Amino acid sequence: MQNKRKKKEMIIQLIIKISTLIAVLLLSSITIFIVKNGYKKINLDYFTSDYNDKTVYVDVENNHTSEHYDISETDDIFIDEWGVGISKLNDDSNYYISYLAKNSIFENGVDLKNEPFKIKVGDIIKKIDKVNIADLKNKDIENMFRDNNLELKITRNGGGIYPMLISTLMLIFLSLIITIPIGVGAAIYLVEYAKIGKLVNIIRFATESLAGIPSIVYGLFGMILFVKFLGIGQSILSGSLTLSIILLPTVIRTTEETLITVPSSYKEASYALGANRLQTLVKIIIPNTISGIIIAVILSIGRIVGESAALLFTVGTFAKIPQNIFDSGTSLTVRAFMEVKEYAAVESACAMGIVLLAIVFILNISTKIIVKKLKL
Amino acid sequence: MNKTRKNIGVIDRISQFIFLTCALVSVIAVISITAFIFFKGIQPFIKGNIEGNYSIVKFLTGDMWKPSQNIYGIGYMIVASVFATIGALFIGVPISLFTAVYISKFARKKIAIMLRTVIELLASIPSVLFGVFGYTVIVSLVRIISPFQVGDSLLSVIIVLSIMILPTIVSISESAISAVPKSYIEASYGLGATKTETVFKIILPAAKSGIFSAIVLGIGRAIGETMAVILVAGNPEQNFPTSLFDKVRLITNNIVLEQGYASGLHEEMLFATGAVLFIFIIIVNLILLKIRKGSDNYAK
Repeated sequence: MQNKRKKKEMIIQLIIKISTLIAVLLLSSITIFIVKNGYKKINLDYFTSDYNDKTVYVDVENNHTSEHYDISETDDIFIDEWGVGISKLNDDSNYYISYLAKNSIFENGVDLKNEPFKIKVGDIIKKIDKVNIADLKNKDIENMFRDNNLELKITRNGGGIYPMLISTLMLIFLSLIITIPIGVGAAIYLVEYAKIGKLVNIIRFATESLAGIPSIVYGLFGMILFVKFLGIGQSILSGSLTLSIILLPTVIRTTEETLITVPSSYKEASYALGANRLQTLVKIIIPNTISGIIIAVILSIGRIVGESAALLFTVGTFAKIPQNIFDSGTSLTVRAFMEVKEYAAVESACAMGIVLLAIVFILNISTKIIVKKLKL
Repeated sequence: MNKTRKNIGVIDRISQFIFLTCALVSVIAVISITAFIFFKGIQPFIKGNIEGNYSIVKFLTGDMWKPSQNIYGIGYMIVASVFATIGALFIGVPISLFTAVYISKFARKKIAIMLRTVIELLASIPSVLFGVFGYTVIVSLVRIISPFQVGDSLLSVIIVLSIMILPTIVSISESAISAVPKSYIEASYGLGATKTETVFKIILPAAKSGIFSAIVLGIGRAIGETMAVILVAGNPEQNFPTSLFDKVRLITNNIVLEQGYASGLHEEMLFATGAVLFIFIIIVNLILLKIRKGSDNYAK
């Protein structure tokens, strides 16, 4: 009997341990999977280059102002008067800019719309003066640079996440600007002004309900109200407005929690000195809740960065840099989703995943540190 | 003196009004979300509407969704969503509960802190990434055992969802378990109960309401999840799922797949789909509210 009981105890304990192991393994294997499949794409260019390849015709002009450029020795072709080095790509026949001297004339190019276009190292030169240079010999190319006026066909490789980073940053700023004042105001009302009653119950119920609504429903709502009904269209603004509703419960709850912790003796002291309610609020209570607001901001950023279903139809899916808040863009999560859904491009999605994981992990850890510091 | 007093009174009242307005934004948001979704979603079923006259019964029980032929049935999606959620709970709940028990009652302090941090970090992984993982790893694993040689299936959806609900259920039920008074546990040991007997007969029953709300929150997350499951579900246009290896289309998937280009009746049908999802979520939330109220009374 005693033996049987011991055996049972051991087996159950084993099951508990195995379950924990499974949970931790499953969850960490996702992180490992994402990092393993995406790390090859990550480098500095990944963050700064455009998502799509870009081809531009650029005019450059040499005035022979007899400027002397630093000489580079490592390039296949180096052209003194222009201060530019050109080399052949290893695996195909295209030529690319491998060196640009300081103040090289190539930095003062002009595109077809007469707008300045700065050529960068790494840009591929497809044509010079309408001639395909891929098949030419180095010497012939050198000769072409004798002209004072050149029209270059330049291709800049994409594959980067710069547009998504910009879109995400715009979403973060705009959503926070909308949601933080409203959320903090609501929390102040609930803690400092409201009397227990029906209205407060309704407000609390509404806030809790908002927290339970899945993001796809927010997406539908944002699309019908902001994109279509109000006619804002798919844009950063529509996305931010949708996000601000999603964030409200978090902001309200977090701020409320810190508001409650402000000792009532502070308030009483302020009242005793003759301050009224608003003065007490502005001078005593709000300064004491800054930490809560900071945490609310961090949590909100985490939520925005990870959000996808609500943004799909409110912000757009096309990877371009939004010119202003009325322009469409796309977030990293939405783009990662589209990569897999449309192109089965797992590596590309995982590379974006690494960036996402890095952001949410850093935010998560910094929240923890702030909370810990405040308690000490 | 009197005048400034009066001014202060006015400012105070104005500021109170502003704060109240802020607080009412969430109420307005909830009302308008509900109103917009249901108003749009009910249009196809109102007799005499230009676009409508679709039978609501046919909509809710239909086994085919073909907008090009004006056939809109989401019965098979509702069944798939319910199956997927139940399946995810079936796998996810035991693992999560055991993990929670381990963290709060078995693990040494340092390991417990480490596990908590890991679970918390993993809770913040964006759902899209679970989808990418499922699309690559789980789907190809399921393909090996599937009789149809296809990995996109109900089983893949269930596995992805059960991983996704792990962190939620673990962290909430873990705090419920840790909140069980020490005296209960000591009393149990005092009566000669073993550690696991104490866990299953004393701790888990005492933490019941916390565990239930964790599970209900998990259900909410599973039913509302979209972006991850869409990549592993297969999203067929018809047929009720009959086995774990059948392709499925969930209610949430239906919205995302077609909202991009839908218009007219088609779009309204997607809103009707959204309304059905919304009803599910309302039910889940009401249950949650009831559990929380019940535990409040119990505490008193």
